[in-house]
Amino acid sequence: MPTTIAESARTTLTKGARNQRVIRGVLNGAVTIVAALALIPIVYLLVRSSEKSVNEIAQLLVRPKTLEVLLTTSALVFGVVFITVSLGVALACGLHFVRLPMRRILIIPAVLPLAIPSYVFTYTWIALIPEFSGFLAGVFILSVTTLPYVILATLAGLRTVDGAQIEVARSLGLSIPQTFRRVVFPQVKGHISAGALLAALYTISDFGAVSLLNVETLTVTIQNMYRASYDRSAAAVISLVLIAFSTLVVLADEKVKQKSPDEGMVKLYSTKNSLINKAWLRVAVIAVLAVFSLVAVVIPFFVLISRFMSNRVAIQWGELASTSISTILVAAFGALIALVLSAPLGIVLSGAKTPTGRYAQRIITIGHGLPGVVIGLALVSIGSKLGALYQTTFLLAFAYALLFLAKAVASMSSSLSRVPTNVKDVAATLGMNQWQVIKKVVTPIAAPGIGLGTILVFLTAMKELPATLMLRPTGFDTLATQIWSAAAINRFNEAAPYALILVLVAAMPTFLISRPDKSDRTFIQENARSQK
Amino acid sequence: MSNKFRLAALAGASALFLSLLTGCSSSNEQAQEVTELTVYSGRSEEFIAPFFAQWESESGIKLNVRYGDSAELAAQILEEGSNSPADLFLSQDAGSLGAVAEAGLFTELGADVASEIPAKFVAANRNWVGVTGRARVFAYSPERLKVLPKSVTDLTSSVYKNQLGIAPTNASFQAFLTALINANGKEFAKSWLEGLQANGVKIYPKNSAIVEAIDRGEISIGLVNHYYVWEVSEALGREVKVNVEFFEPGDLGNLINVSGAGVMASSKKYAATQDLINYLTSVAVQQKFVTETHEYSLLEGAKAPADMPALAQIGAPTVDLNSLKDIKATQDLLIEVGLL
Repeated sequence: MPTTIAESARTTLTKGARNQRVIRGVLNGAVTIVAALALIPIVYLLVRSSEKSVNEIAQLLVRPKTLEVLLTTSALVFGVVFITVSLGVALACGLHFVRLPMRRILIIPAVLPLAIPSYVFTYTWIALIPEFSGFLAGVFILSVTTLPYVILATLAGLRTVDGAQIEVARSLGLSIPQTFRRVVFPQVKGHISAGALLAALYTISDFGAVSLLNVETLTVTIQNMYRASYDRSAAAVISLVLIAFSTLVVLADEKVKQKSPDEGMVKLYSTKNSLINKAWLRVAVIAVLAVFSLVAVVIPFFVLISRFMSNRVAIQWGELASTSISTILVAAFGALIALVLSAPLGIVLSGAKTPTGRYAQRIITIGHGLPGVVIGLALVSIGSKLGALYQTTFLLAFAYALLFLAKAVASMSSSLSRVPTNVKDVAATLGMNQWQVIKKVVTPIAAPGIGLGTILVFLTAMKELPATLMLRPTGFDTLATQIWSAAAINRFNEAAPYALILVLVAAMPTFLISRPDKSDRTFIQENARSQK
Repeated sequence: MSNKFRLAALAGASALFLSLLTGCSSSNEQAQEVTELTVYSGRSEEFIAPFFAQWESESGIKLNVRYGDSAELAAQILEEGSNSPADLFLSQDAGSLGAVAEAGLFTELGADVASEIPAKFVAANRNWVGVTGRARVFAYSPERLKVLPKSVTDLTSSVYKNQLGIAPTNASFQAFLTALINANGKEFAKSWLEGLQANGVKIYPKNSAIVEAIDRGEISIGLVNHYYVWEVSEALGREVKVNVEFFEPGDLGNLINVSGAGVMASSKKYAATQDLINYLTSVAVQQKFVTETHEYSLLEGAKAPADMPALAQIGAPTVDLNSLKDIKATQDLLIEVGLL
């Protein structure tokens, strides 16, 4: 045969390069489409803002109130990030490094608060302590509500740290705090920052808690302008201020991540670290978790149930069941759409840094700080022109996907970047095509993290209210709308069963999140098998 | 989990979703004879659903009711414009109706619609009609508040320092403030608001929160609608320690506001919507509102809710409700003094 080995290698390579180019083109195209979808609310705000004259806009921006609200928002975000990061990292380290009984169960109460709508949570605290109000109360409530984001993100990071490194550091004489600072922290700070970013954006976009506690953030001002003045363009101008603020937060997070070590260094699988076996640490971790679950789950439920008992009404079981099912279905469908939409961007972001990827991620993340009412109205504005599609469960699920896309993208890209490029290359040289590589190499490593992101979207979608009220099919109820309609006329006793179900439903996927150790191990076993 | 299982689960979920989707989209189909109406209701399901159910059984027409906050539903209708699927908008307050009317999205109602409702409770251009009345009052703690105010303007007095609660985002409060601006000018209203702020006024997200705050002793007096003490007592399952009182006759603090309804210009079901409005404003149903929701009937000579004076005896100020539709200036003022 005339063809030499070198020649055939070259043709394979050029063919491979062409394939690569096509794939990259398709990916970038897909990313652009997703970014365009995520831009809908921002474009909507620009259009609405442009209805005001430059003069009016300037007046809105320079009034003392705007500055005051901006300061309150920044202080609140700073406070919440400070508390969630210190407490969340400590708890995550405790859960990861300390030998604990029933570790998988222990993580559940740390994640459950994700399922409780912040207005229900706040209400129960006000019912318990009438004077509960103001800035510090806001920091408290939002820290408790967003702590799970930091715990989960940090735990995900800690799982990528090689236990062997820690053992080497310890044998070289570093103390536990020193080991953490010099070996562990530099490897997980990107993850911590990702969790803190979610906490910060949640704080920026929250309405329920801050409005009940009389803390006026940008979101409260925006919502007040919509609710009370029908002044959509003034609300849009303030929303743009909020977007500017979210942009700063997102850039800060990027800054932290830039200084993180090269992601390419991530190992194929990490040696399990040996667990710290100290009684006082064990007690401390369990005690902190117990206090946290008391504050975040037990007390709210105690208040709701006691309110229910004091003014008992017959529970409508049929309605409760059908509402639960439709909530689960539409939230799951939203999470599924988010998963699909986040895939191309996740793949792009996990590879070499490209401007398309960077801008798309920024747009999606910044939009995550917008209050639900803004995204709801933006989608009403466009959706109402779509005829039969408007106010269908499909559009509602799609809205959930857009609202919480940032969560899905974050987990998707960080999970995919755990897959080392050289392993993919090796698989390719062994004759696997792109799809085989994705199926046999990428998916097993990245699946647990991607699953976590999907579940986060699912949990948040289940309790979403403002966009749900506007976009749901007429007559369609979710657990959150049922809680709202009882709470709107102060009947928290009637809201109790729905709130209980919401948390019970949330507990199930939470249990799945809490077991990624298992999938890690399966992967290691599978790998060991394939190596034989 | 095996891949097969995952696939099956996925297929199952999609099938369920599809059935959901088709189940819900049938409402969009055009029918020759009117069999369904779509109502956007800013009024709470708990209170209004029984009325809707009765009309459904009487008319044989199915109601698809979309519940929401009145102001948010109005904002939604403004965004939807002529594409709105709504046939009728039932609002908690005249302000939301005014905003939709202003945008030209309501149709003019004929003289035979709600003909018994006095003209002062109907939009001048007949774009909407009042359905029930709610009076502005002050709620107070009889234990702690010894000096009752005679006028809203008394509330800036040091007697009420740190004792007063208001809900500036509430539509009824804004309607009252609009009346105050219209009657006495913007400067007067501004100095009144600043007087309240200097007097340590406490801000609440809604009326019921004010009543609860008085009940638990946080404040002693608050500006609310008349039925909230009843509503909060119902919700808590006990009588709250809060009374309701009117200011002196003619004081703007005794303003009567209405919940009301308008028909969307984009609706093709005018006859059916008109029938629904006539039902809601009929004598029997009006009386039912009085007993079931503790609101005022708007019909002449109707009975008042329990423990309340008759509508004519309140000493309500003479305020043209149409003049309250421009809440833009009110909003700007609230924004200017920093209450919004």
